[in-house]
Amino acid sequence: MPTEIEEEYLETIYELTERGQAIAKTSEIAAKMNLSPASVTEMVQRLANSGYLDYEKYKGATLTVDGLRIARHIKRKHRLLERFLVDVLGVKKEESHEEACRLEHGISEDSERMICQLTNNPQYCPDGDPIPECVDKQCPQCRGLPSVRLGELHEGESGEITHLKGEEASRIRRLISMGFVPGRTVTMEEHAPMGGPLLVRLQDSRVALAKDYADLVLVRAKECKPSGSGASPPAGD
Amino acid sequence: MEIGLIGPPNVGKSVIFSRLSGVGAMSSNYPGTTVEFQEATVHARGRKINFLDLPGTYSLSGTAEDELVATRLLAARKLDAIIAVVDATRLEQGLVLVFQLIELGFNVIIALNMMDLAKRRFNLDAHKLAAMLDVPVVPTVAVTGEEVDTLIELILARKLRPSTFRVAYDHEIEALLAQLEKREDSKAEGFPVRGALLKLLEGNAYFAEQFPPPLKGEVKEGRELFRRQHNEEIEVHIARDRFGEAGRVASAVTEKKVLAATTGERISDLTLRPRTGVPILLLVLLGVFLSIVFVGGFLETVLLSAYKELFAGFFIDLANWIGGNSGLAIAQGIDLSLQAILSIVIPYIILFYVMLGILEDSGYLPRVVVLLDGIMHRVGLYGRAIIPMIVGMGCSVPAILATRVMESRKERLLVATITVMAIPCSAQTAVILGTVGNFAGLEWAAAIYIVLLAILLILGKVLHRVLKPEPSILMIEIPDLTVPRWKNVLWKTHIRSKDFFFVAFPILFVGSLVLEFLVHFGILASLVEPLSPFTLGFLGLPPIIIIALIFGILRKEMSMQLLVILFGTANLALVMSPQQLFIFALIMATYLPCLSVFAILAKEFGWKDTVKITLASVIMAFGMAGAAHFLFHLL
Repeated sequence: MPTEIEEEYLETIYELTERGQAIAKTSEIAAKMNLSPASVTEMVQRLANSGYLDYEKYKGATLTVDGLRIARHIKRKHRLLERFLVDVLGVKKEESHEEACRLEHGISEDSERMICQLTNNPQYCPDGDPIPECVDKQCPQCRGLPSVRLGELHEGESGEITHLKGEEASRIRRLISMGFVPGRTVTMEEHAPMGGPLLVRLQDSRVALAKDYADLVLVRAKECKPSGSGASPPAGD
Repeated sequence: MEIGLIGPPNVGKSVIFSRLSGVGAMSSNYPGTTVEFQEATVHARGRKINFLDLPGTYSLSGTAEDELVATRLLAARKLDAIIAVVDATRLEQGLVLVFQLIELGFNVIIALNMMDLAKRRFNLDAHKLAAMLDVPVVPTVAVTGEEVDTLIELILARKLRPSTFRVAYDHEIEALLAQLEKREDSKAEGFPVRGALLKLLEGNAYFAEQFPPPLKGEVKEGRELFRRQHNEEIEVHIARDRFGEAGRVASAVTEKKVLAATTGERISDLTLRPRTGVPILLLVLLGVFLSIVFVGGFLETVLLSAYKELFAGFFIDLANWIGGNSGLAIAQGIDLSLQAILSIVIPYIILFYVMLGILEDSGYLPRVVVLLDGIMHRVGLYGRAIIPMIVGMGCSVPAILATRVMESRKERLLVATITVMAIPCSAQTAVILGTVGNFAGLEWAAAIYIVLLAILLILGKVLHRVLKPEPSILMIEIPDLTVPRWKNVLWKTHIRSKDFFFVAFPILFVGSLVLEFLVHFGILASLVEPLSPFTLGFLGLPPIIIIALIFGILRKEMSMQLLVILFGTANLALVMSPQQLFIFALIMATYLPCLSVFAILAKEFGWKDTVKITLASVIMAFGMAGAAHFLFHLL
């Protein structure tokens, strides 16, 4: 595992090359990290030896596959943390970056998942930069493992509403009014016969809704819950 | 003072309203009964309080018709206070509406209803709820009237003020609100800035009209930015925060009791699960029909024979006392209109409304909707249409009003047309059973119902093709099944049937007097002859029957009574063949809506569509009758 400072380097190079620039020059890295070019060159060479970077003298550095993976992950943590600090704790946007920088190296993957869940799997950080996708295939929150439509739940299965999806705002609003709101739990009770409505329990009330409506509600089945509950064993970093 | 009453469908709001006001507000265990708002003024301790019953609505955020009506009413009236009726068994849902009312700056009183049911499931600390939300909370059991008086006391005390409670939203929503609040043009008439802006962010159509374009532009940008960053619409997030807060409050004030499912809950479930629910539904419908036929028939016989026992002599005396043809006309006119009330209204119509009341009050109707939705779709209809159609078995007028639960006008028109043309109302049922059923045999009556069913199916398909309504999709809350309260059932029956006494009876009374005069002075005969090619030739009916058909426009049940008068005998089998009775009943079951239906159609859909429906039904009724005559002739 790379050290904290090494992670910082990879992250900086990722940031420099994020918007299409092919190679990060040592002078640019030095400027961005507020360090002398000499120490940057030394560290970049060390990272290249560890297989995280491809480095060419006088040209600059690019991330290897391994390096990219680590850099993305750390950037993801950083931007997720910013989101968390701003949205949930109410930290000022300008201050969130500094703090996220310090926290990003210390937080566990479990906490990362929970923050992701708490902030509803955000796609952008408060400054509008994209948050790299989650690579953890176990985490159902990631876009890699999408939520299913409410109608796809089996009878007796429960799920948490993750989002509502549809073009027609009026239908979405009716669903909201009825209480189909992300974060609430629904249980599929029955599929009525002959293409009839679905019968679901929504917390204390029971609602029958046509499949057309149910298709707009996306849920995450409750059965597999690797994140969220404290009962699941930590993956071990 | 103006006091509003608001709450989701199915929470007992209308019952509270009628208790508060003494006015008969109709309450039902299915959504959409309060489609128009009602008002009532009461005097309490020298003060005038005007109560306003708003349409049942789950929230004020949406664009749906009912929510918009509620929002507009809230904006138009300067309400001194608003009573939010919250179902204690579904606290979260109710609290979300309360939050919105608090945000809009209303003096809110919570009527925590259905406390009796809630107490069985959990302990609910109403004082804590009041303290948390900073609003008075009155636990009520509206259906028995408990503590409804406390609400009036609170209103009269005039100590109400806006709550200091506020829902904290996501930080960025709060930041956007703060940024918008700073603008000069963000003040909405009559509402707190924060509340109005939240409504604007949610996309409420009323509030969107209240703000100038530059502000709306900024809101639009804010919404877009929010969507990009959060991968979620802002209104969804606002709702999420509200439900989160509601959940927090609800769990803080309630303590769940661990309970096994009661027998009631198990029955509730059985009626809903298709495997058991569909057979139960068939039994229920069969039960309703059979009790109308048998209990209604029994009541009719008992009432009529008692009536004749008591009054037959009186009317003979009356005729003799006045003397001449006029005497006969007056005596028979009064006699027959009273008989009509006794033989139709009380046995059949009241009985039907009692049963409808039981089905409604118990919460069974939404189950009918759910169980039949699938099959209704196959015939071009929707589950929702079942409610107007069932109500239409009583009377088409409330049925047409009940079509307002449908989403689009086209759909409403479709269901209203079918209800008018293919669903026999209780008067028509009485005519069908009283004529063909009694004098031609039940198989002839059954044939009429089969024809009606065929019309329903064909009409559904045809109208679907012609009108092309947007596919309606169902979303309905299913209340738990409860034991109906007799008070409610009788109250509803009273409200629904009183029109028959105060509107229908006078028409019937005057109509039968006029008719008797025409009969006894021989004027009628001159109207009958010119139309005989149509009646006798085309329909194969005795020419004099045209009178019954004409008067059937006033009220369907009158036509049967008229047959008795016209032929001078109560045994119709002596004067008409089974085929003729069949043709007559077929016409009565399908043709022309009666006057009151005509009026309500015109009010709801305009003259053009009303005339179309009327013409269509007349052509269809006489066309089928003519065809039946032709067929019988061939056989």
